[in-house]
Amino acid sequence: MFKLDKISKSFDGTQVLKPCSLEFKTGETSVLIGPSGCGKSTLLRLLAGLIQPDLGTVFFENQPLSPASLIFQRRRMGYVIQEGGLFPHLTALGNITLLASRLGMTPIDVAKRVEYLASLTRLPMELLNRYPGQLSGGQRQRVGIMRALMLDPPVLLLDEPMGALDPLVRYDLQEDLRAIIRSLKKTAILVTHDMGEASFFGDRLLLLNVGEIVQEGHLDDFITKPSSPYVTRFINAQRMPHLIARTAGEACQ
Amino acid sequence: MISLLLPSWPKTLAICLAFFFCLVAKPARAAEPPGVAIGSKSFTESVILGEILSQLARQTGAVVSHRAELGGTRILWEALKKGDIDAYVDYTGTIRDELLAGELPASSPVANNKTNDFQQLRAGLQKHQIHLSMPLGFNNTYALGMRETLAAKLNIKTISDLQKQPGLALGLSDEFVERKDGWRQLASHYRLPQKNMRTMNHTLAYQGLVNDSIQITDLYTTDAEIPFYQLRVLEDDLAFFPSYQAVLLIRADLFQRAPLAAEALLRLEGKLTSTAIAALSARVKLEKISETVVAAQWLRQNLEPNLLVPDDDQSARQRRLLQRLGQATVEHLFLVVVSLLAAILVAVPLGIYAARHDRMGQIVLAMVGIVQTLPSLALLVFMIPFFGLGPTSAIVALFCYSLLPIVRNTYSGLRQIPPTTCESAEVIGLSAWDKLRLVEFPLALPLVLSGIKTAAVINVGTATIGALVGAGGYGSVILTGIRLLDIPLILQGAIPAALMALLAQYLFGWIEKLLVSPGLRLNR
Repeated sequence: MFKLDKISKSFDGTQVLKPCSLEFKTGETSVLIGPSGCGKSTLLRLLAGLIQPDLGTVFFENQPLSPASLIFQRRRMGYVIQEGGLFPHLTALGNITLLASRLGMTPIDVAKRVEYLASLTRLPMELLNRYPGQLSGGQRQRVGIMRALMLDPPVLLLDEPMGALDPLVRYDLQEDLRAIIRSLKKTAILVTHDMGEASFFGDRLLLLNVGEIVQEGHLDDFITKPSSPYVTRFINAQRMPHLIARTAGEACQ
Repeated sequence: MISLLLPSWPKTLAICLAFFFCLVAKPARAAEPPGVAIGSKSFTESVILGEILSQLARQTGAVVSHRAELGGTRILWEALKKGDIDAYVDYTGTIRDELLAGELPASSPVANNKTNDFQQLRAGLQKHQIHLSMPLGFNNTYALGMRETLAAKLNIKTISDLQKQPGLALGLSDEFVERKDGWRQLASHYRLPQKNMRTMNHTLAYQGLVNDSIQITDLYTTDAEIPFYQLRVLEDDLAFFPSYQAVLLIRADLFQRAPLAAEALLRLEGKLTSTAIAALSARVKLEKISETVVAAQWLRQNLEPNLLVPDDDQSARQRRLLQRLGQATVEHLFLVVVSLLAAILVAVPLGIYAARHDRMGQIVLAMVGIVQTLPSLALLVFMIPFFGLGPTSAIVALFCYSLLPIVRNTYSGLRQIPPTTCESAEVIGLSAWDKLRLVEFPLALPLVLSGIKTAAVINVGTATIGALVGAGGYGSVILTGIRLLDIPLILQGAIPAALMALLAQYLFGWIEKLLVSPGLRLNR
């Protein structure tokens, strides 16, 4: 789905992403994880074409991202950020259907699609006429997911979508979002700094540190075969007792 | 990115300006009816003389308009050169030191070699295709004056005597302070020590003398107020003030276009004495008789025994006032609405441009800011060679003053949108134009509208300057009121202007409710 060929990125002379080549396969859920400033959001923004790499090329569905075709390529990506990134001057429905109605989808198809997505994200239909300011954080996030799914894109790009939610709301939303991704067989790329969330979603985890991918694979590999002491330290810093115990056990043997 | 979709801003600006000048172009000028336009300055003597000239020309069958109470010597001079007016009365000292400054062979303002001086002026004006008449017969020079009682107490008879009284406060007219032959030169000529000097309206200065907030003011020697307020005119003992002979300035082409009317105007040469003109001013200012009637009565007695003197009964006057008020409202609204619409068309795109281009944006903001600091009279004088007397000049000036609030608010409105919102719009696949139209502009709209509201309210107030270039509006009512010290008349202009400003405020509040999304009025 995505292929990155020797890309790198600097801001104001600091390299935030060191040269790397990567691939994200169709149907796979990948999680970009790491501390703040490690470059994980930069990587996701490169995929969405919000920023351009200094060197190298990003391929999406075998085509390079280019200014000329970016608008059309983006319509095949769903993008969700913290708080949903909703437009405050439009109702939830307005947010969800903004682009679809511009692209000539008939009102009947739009209505059907919205109804389907509302049931999928478990958002009560009567909330759709409210403005973002009248919704709770979790409801806003569900609207954001509906908006991302409206055009039925093959890819979902999720930039810390649960970042601002309290634990219980977040728990429900995580469940629903994973179910949606799996049932619709979407390719998903999620950015988070939370190992628990990462392992819950990810078939494949990519741990970044200062602009570099330090380890890539399944959570078990991170615990049993850490590529560097940094990986162990990062996992222990999550304060998940069962993970710490296993790591410590390995070390004892 | 937006610059790909919109034409570049200088082009936008040019198109909008062109559109708006088409809008305000006057059909009347295109038709060019054979007629004579007389001008006058915004003080009573000048308005009376304008009326006398108008009625003289009208006797010859010409279609005459009197562009009364224009905002100053430079405005009349520019209008005369451009052909918006054909004749008006000015004073020799003013012609030499203001209109032809730098064009004549050097002569000290003290030198009063009259015939030689007069020939020089005539030759100087001829270069501008302006004919100079012989003097009308009175000398209205500048002078300094103070209350008789105070002058007697302090024993002040001459301007030199002021050297001994450094504590006296002066209230001087703007023009007198600015002029080459004005206050600064006078003070250095006489070595005057007074530091407490304020500029103020000439008519209001008399009020200042009466209530002793100032002790000295500049006078015109024919002012009706001199005897009325019992003022002493201080003797110009060191002969500073040049001669201010009243003369007619007539466009040379009037003698071909309307020879009868032009010759008729010249009948005024040598006919008016200082006493006569002071008496006429007194009748208008103190007896509250209209300039038209006063002028007609004088003409009937002196030049045109068959002239009909119009009625001046109170009810007709009242009707005229109401009519004038209605007309002023229409004119005022016209100035405000046209200038504001044009400003919106130009300023909103400029604001969008400024928000998109960091460095050029700062330059745009600085430029509209500089426009704002130009004094209105200077701006108007600058406009007249291009747009002439009338609403166009006033509208262009108001347009310039409206730019800053709208540009700045559009800029801030777009800049205050959180970057994540802009990114969301981009990343869902909206085109740059749709992004601006559907997301960014609606989010900036509350600020844009409040910028337009500010511009509208300021515009209603500033549109009173329209009177200075004969564009009418409430300003002309206020200006007449100030000139005649007629407080009810001032209020008749000022209160509707204030009401109109309130109405604009209310109207925009309503528009805001209509246009701004309810989602933006929530407290998040």
